[in-house]
Order: sequence, then structure tokens, then C-alpha cells
Amino acid sequence: MFGNNRLPAFHPGLTQSRIRDTTTGSGLWFPGLRSPPLPSESDPANDQLPLPITQEDLYDTPMAPFNPYTYIRCPCSELNPYTKRTPDVTAQGLSRAAQDDDDHTFDPRAARSNYSLYPLEYLSFCEDCHQIRCPRCVAEEIVCYYCPNCLFEVPSSNIRSEGSRCTRSCFQCPICIGPLAVNHVETPPDPNQLLSPDHASSSHLGSYILSCSYCNWSSTEIGIKFDKPNSIHMQLAKLRNGGETRLTAKERKERRKEQASQGGGGGGSSAGQGEEDLDTLLDMETQFANLKSFYQNQLSDANGTGKVGGDPSAALGNLGFDAPASLSRIMSLYTGSSSLHDKKSKSRPGTMREALAPSEGLQLASLDESSAITALQDFESTTGLDAYSSTASTTQLQSQAPYLGASPLHGLTRFTSSLRPIPYLLRTKRSKRCPQCRHIISKPESKVTTTRFRIRLIAGNYIPTITIKQLIIPGLTPPSMPNLPPDTIEPLKPAQFVLTFKNPIFESVRVTLATPATTPGRFPAKVTILCPQFEIDSNTDVWEEALKDNNATSSSSQSQNLSSSTGPEGSGPGGRKRAGTLRPGTAGGASLAGEELGPEVGKVWERGRNWTSIVIEVIPASLVQTAKRDGRGPIKEDEDVLEIPMFVRIEWEAEAPEDEIMPGLSSAKGGNKDGGKEKRELAYWCVLGLGRVARTL
Amino acid sequence: MSSATPSPVPSSAHGHHKRHSILPAVSQSGPKPPVQFSSSCTIADSALLTGPHTIIVSTESVIHPRARLESLGGRVTVGRRCIVHERACLGAADLQGRYHKGSPDKEGRSMGAVTLGDYVTVEVGAQVESGGTVIGEGTTVGIGTRVGAGAIVGKHCTLTANSTVAAGEVIPDYTVIYSNGLRRIDRRGVSDLKNKAQARQIDVLRRMIPSNPGKFQ
Repeated sequence: MFGNNRLPAFHPGLTQSRIRDTTTGSGLWFPGLRSPPLPSESDPANDQLPLPITQEDLYDTPMAPFNPYTYIRCPCSELNPYTKRTPDVTAQGLSRAAQDDDDHTFDPRAARSNYSLYPLEYLSFCEDCHQIRCPRCVAEEIVCYYCPNCLFEVPSSNIRSEGSRCTRSCFQCPICIGPLAVNHVETPPDPNQLLSPDHASSSHLGSYILSCSYCNWSSTEIGIKFDKPNSIHMQLAKLRNGGETRLTAKERKERRKEQASQGGGGGGSSAGQGEEDLDTLLDMETQFANLKSFYQNQLSDANGTGKVGGDPSAALGNLGFDAPASLSRIMSLYTGSSSLHDKKSKSRPGTMREALAPSEGLQLASLDESSAITALQDFESTTGLDAYSSTASTTQLQSQAPYLGASPLHGLTRFTSSLRPIPYLLRTKRSKRCPQCRHIISKPESKVTTTRFRIRLIAGNYIPTITIKQLIIPGLTPPSMPNLPPDTIEPLKPAQFVLTFKNPIFESVRVTLATPATTPGRFPAKVTILCPQFEIDSNTDVWEEALKDNNATSSSSQSQNLSSSTGPEGSGPGGRKRAGTLRPGTAGGASLAGEELGPEVGKVWERGRNWTSIVIEVIPASLVQTAKRDGRGPIKEDEDVLEIPMFVRIEWEAEAPEDEIMPGLSSAKGGNKDGGKEKRELAYWCVLGLGRVARTL
Repeated sequence: MSSATPSPVPSSAHGHHKRHSILPAVSQSGPKPPVQFSSSCTIADSALLTGPHTIIVSTESVIHPRARLESLGGRVTVGRRCIVHERACLGAADLQGRYHKGSPDKEGRSMGAVTLGDYVTVEVGAQVESGGTVIGEGTTVGIGTRVGAGAIVGKHCTLTANSTVAAGEVIPDYTVIYSNGLRRIDRRGVSDLKNKAQARQIDVLRRMIPSNPGKFQ
């Protein structure tokens, strides 16, 4: 996404079957991946209670290992702040929902919140607005187009004229979508044919083919060979399956001009055309081209001008037929003096006629499908191939370009033997902009082969990262049940987790956390944050910390031991300081009476150079008993995942930007001589996924 | 180690401590089988041949280092100009660990465990189960493919990587097994070219792999 390709696989709480259903197969995560509950399972008529679950059979499906996750909610998902304040009676539902946002806590299980939660790696940060931006609210612009196979950059003017596919030699196999390679085939010249006069007019005997190295398909299966190994797209456009040539639009025009000049010179060709066979089958392309030229001729003839679309008066005449009535009325206003003249011009189109022959585009509908039906029914007996594997699948047909060489009715391809190679779809490099201040958030290099970025403001460089780990102290934590699957939490027993906040910016930040006392959802768990307010030191260099450490140890090692962290802002030099660890030889450590080893309320658990760990305690609800009592059916998929919505507020002091226009202004602002520090704060909701609750109770 | 004359250390010496692969170590175990090697075949020194039945390797075939040929279910026959790559196993047990014995054919002769035709390539990590499995001439058994016991694979087939052939299945000639078990017929007509390319590859391999058939005879 942002050049940092270490994106973890985001399947929060999903079982393996759901992963296969909803991901693209590459393991990428996208919003909405946590699916809403299936309607069939919440059928009230279904009053089957969950079967009594034995110790050995806690889960009916094999569980994927659960990795604790942190999702952050982008503020763009909050409603427009203006609607919150207007007491609009008609939009009562809307304003009530806005109040819910304020009063009630964020519910991670709501269907809507599904789409606004993102892992930290997916979020970017706008430096001007000092706000988080998610992939949904960011505005994208295209930097360049390129072919993913040949990495050739295509200028955007070509996109408009030639389409969004590679026009060089990059093709995908129609059977297995793998890349096709150009191979040289040596065909020994047939000595019998060299002398025959038909040799020159036989179908193209090129010496290059496209072949797939995975499924072993090659273009000889549709009878196409190429003369040169490059610009295959152009050569392919002129070939039909079987090696027959196909006329492009330009060539058709030229042929028509030749025929017209010949017809005028001959004089008797119009009579010959009148006796043309009405049954000649035209393919769609030829029919369309014939019809189009026929109608254009009719229009130009009716208006009495020789050219079609040549001079402006002819264009105006064309308007008279297919322009809406309002347009002609408006035009008649300006030429209103000669109203009689206009009526004459409008009555002129009566000389138009319809097509009468296939050369003009007439194609009689052949509603007799028996030939197509017998071709399908007797496929196995006539060709000896397996019919099922020879039929093209829906995905294969969808990726094919419309085959204009088929006859208009019932001629569409159904078999794999007529699938043509697919040119590669071009890809884009995009730059992202903040929707509010238009500041560029991410901009890749326009050179296709480099994957670097010119500008890349990602949230990971501004917001603290949160990692979660279960806290198990050997002497203190009560032992869990023996058969418990890993990463599960026992219900109705307090479990402790260590949250580590790592600060990426170069200022120290103060973090305030808040969560609702019980988690929203069907199985509410009680949550307590033991230290809701704490500070994280700035992300200084490792060398600075080492130098500080040396200073500290040189002064006195004992004083470092004795200085206990009295409050949440355990001050002192850098280095790890753990509140609550047993320190031998301390004389009357202030708050160590009683629980010497466990985490304490109001104290951080551990502190480092740029990170701080705190402890939260959760007591999950019992799944089985609650499910029996509330009568909402069996436990649905992912309902047993323990998720905590948490409100994070970060405050820090940043250097105020110097006013460049008036350099004297900053000093005039009340004399901020201490570097012009500006207090900044950022607040957002996030969701911590701690683990699955065991279904023991 | 402080001797002046450097002594060549055989590759299978026990003092060989450096291992970089995460797969379990490959070592010779089991009975030494009776063998019939052609004089021009290339058998790497660290190939593994086990089993009570005969193992036959025909003209100009190449057995890479650490390839396994197990004759626990019956005789293993490798045709002419075949290539068996590393960690491939001919005559493997099935997923439950059983070695199948093939049912006798029409004339009542034993089918043997595995029979490879000429010009067959068995790629890295492929498992060809024992039990009368026949791989036709010119077929390429892809990387990591598992061919079930008793399957009969036709000539000039291509089994792409990680595909499976069920036990007892009959694959017609020129089939390509690709994707998730999809089949199609290969109509390129390049069998001769492939055979020639295989002969050239064997030429190169014979120079690169030091052959030691004497170790197994």
C-alpha cells in the first residue's frame, strides 16, 4: 500500500472458511471484511439451544490462531459536525444518531463501524489538518499509467485514444490467466505448395506464436501465428481465429472508396447489387460498418450536400434529424424570418430509405437455432473432446473482448477453442490528497520501476502504535484450565493484558485512555484500565539514550534503584523502570505493600526509551450461559471475540511554524521565547481485539 | 585438522554441521536394495535407495542428490533419459503411511511399485506413491505433486506444481493438470522438441552431478 509491504494478514477473529470467502486470495484486508451476522442464524423460530459443550469439544471448527489486533477508526466516519448542531425536526433520526455518537460509546460490532475501522498500516496522516486520513476519505489522483507486464509507461493521451490495455506484446492466457510468451516456431516449408499459384493467397504462415508456460495453451489452438515477435497487439487485431484477416476501420473505408470509384466507373454495378444474395452472413463488425456508411450516405443525400460531416452546413443538416425538438426550435428562432424556408427543409428527410441488401447492412434474422443446438449436443461425438472442459467458464468469457467476428445472432463463442489472448489491463500509480486542505499525503515517483515515494505521510509516523500481549506472571496469575486452546481467555475470571504504546514522534506525548466499563455487544466484558493517563517519552536516537544512561549510572546506581516511580509520569533518566517489580534491598518502597509483583492501579507497567506499557484487566462474560438465557440463538461466528473500544487522546507540544511573511510577528506574539511551542492534541477511537473467550462456561 | 595435506571431506561425513534447510535431515535408512544400473546412468552419491525389491535405472537417466527411490512396495523402474530431482520420492507411502503393493496386470505379472517411462521428469519434492503407479513417456511430474497409488498417467502429460492425482486414476495422454485440479489437453505438438531438450539437459547434468553407482551395487 505505502511501500511498506509488511502488511499483516487481517482476518480478525475470522475462521478459515470465512477467510476463503471474503478475501481476494492475496490475503489483503479491506473494510467490511468482518461480516455482519448471517440472517439465517438469527431466525427467531430457530429455538435450538447450543448443545452442551464438553471439555474436549470446545470448538466445532478448527480455529485459526488468534492474533491480537488494533483497529483505528478514522474520524471521517463521524457524521458531519454541522448536522449535530441544527435541531432539525425532519432529520430527527440523523440528529439522534449524532447524539448517539457523542453520548454513547463506539460500538465495534455495529454494521456501520465495520467499514470505518482500519489497521494502523492503512492510515495516513495529514500534516496540515493534523488528522488521520483513511483510504475511504482520501482523494486519489493518477500519476502515471503502466503495463504490469512490460513496465512500459503509457502516456495518458494514449489511454483516451487506444483504451486502457497494453498495446505492445503483453497478453494473458485466456484459459489460465498466466502471462503469454512469444515463441519462435520453425515450420519447414512445404515443397508441394511452393509452386502452386495459391500459395501467395493462403492464410498467414507466420513463425511466432504466443504460448502459456503454465497450462500449455498456445495460439496455434486458435490458428493464429505472427510474422514478427513485437507489436503483437497490432498483428492480432488484424487476425481472426483460424488465421483469416480482419479489416480494421481504416481499411474498410479505403475499400469502400475503391468500390465507390469502381462502381461509378462501371455503371452497371448498382443493378448487380440489387440482385445481391440476401442470405450472405455478415459478422457484427461488417454489418455495423455497412449500416453506418449507408445511413451516413442517406443523410448526406437527403440534405443535398455531397460531403458527410465535411462542412458546417452539412453538420447543421444532420442536426435537423436527430437533434431534439427543442434544439431545432431554438435554431428556428434565430432564423425565424424565413419560416417557410424552414418548413421546407424539415420536409426534406422523406427521401431516406432503409437498407435493402447485406452490402448496405441488412441482415435477415435467422431464428433457426438448430445448427447451434446440434453443435452443442453432439459436441462430444463430433469432436471427441470432453464437453465440460471444452466449454468456456463465465470468468473466462468475461475477460474476453467482445468478439466482433461473430454473426449477429447465435454466433457468440462458447468453447475454449475460440478464446483469444487477453491484453493486459494497465495499472496506475496514484497520489493521495487530503480532502479538506488538499495537501498531498502520498506521492509515488513517476518513474515506473522505482517503488519509492516522494512524499509519504503515514499514520505510523505520527500516532503511537499499540501492541497487545497477555500478562502472565508465574507466581501471581491463577493457572488456566489445562485443555484450553491457545490465545483464548477464560470467562468470568480476570485476565490481564499489557498494552505497549510506542511513540514515533520526536516529542514526548501524554496519552489519556478511556473505555466504557463494559464492552458493547451481546457478551459484555468488564474492562478496567489500570493506568488511564501516562506519558511516553520522545523517540530520540539510541545513542542519546545510551549517553543518558551512562550519566545516570555514573552518578549513583543506588539512587536509581531507590527512586520509585511515584506517579504515572515516572520521571527520571531513560531506561526501563517497572512499577511493581520486586527490588531487593529497597528500604520501604513506598507503594509496595501487599502486591509486590502484580500491576498496580495508577502506575505504568514498564517504560522504555520511546514506549510505555500499561496493564488493562478484563473479565469476560460467560458465553454459553448468556447465550442460553437471552434467547438470541446460538453463538454466531466471531461473537466470542473480545473487543474493547477505546478512546485515545494524545497531547503533545510541537514547534509552532515560523511565520515567513512577517518574521517579526512571532516575537511580537507575547514574546514566546521558548521556541514557540504549540499545544496539539489528537483524539480517536480504536478497537483492541484481545482474544477469543473460551466456551467453557 | 592441522595436517599439512588437505584431505577431501566426503559430503556425507558426520562432522558436517552446517545445515540451512528447515526440512528434516535426509539420511539413508532401511535395507540396501538389489539394483540394476545401466552403465551410462548418473546416480548422485547422496541419493537414497531403500527397500527389498529391485531398483532399475536405465540408460542415461539422472538421479539427483537426496532423491529417494523406495522399493518397499515393489520394484521401481526408471526409464531411459529420465531425470529425478532432489527430494522427489519414487515409491512413496501414501498419506496414511502405507506402502501399497500393486495388483497384478492382465498377464498376471506384478506391476511393481513405480514404473517411469522414457524421458520422464520428476521435479523437486514430487511424491509418486507405490502400488503399480505408471508414469507415461515424456511426462513432467511437477514440483510437489503427489501421484496416488496405482494411478496410470499417460504420455507427454504435464502435471503442474502442487497438483494431485488420485489413487487409481487414469490420465489420458497429453493431459495438462493445472490450477485446482483442472484438466485440458495439450495440443502444441512439441513432444519431439521436449525430448531433445531433455537429452541436452541430461548432457549438462551428467557433467555437474558426480555419479557414484558403485555405492549402491
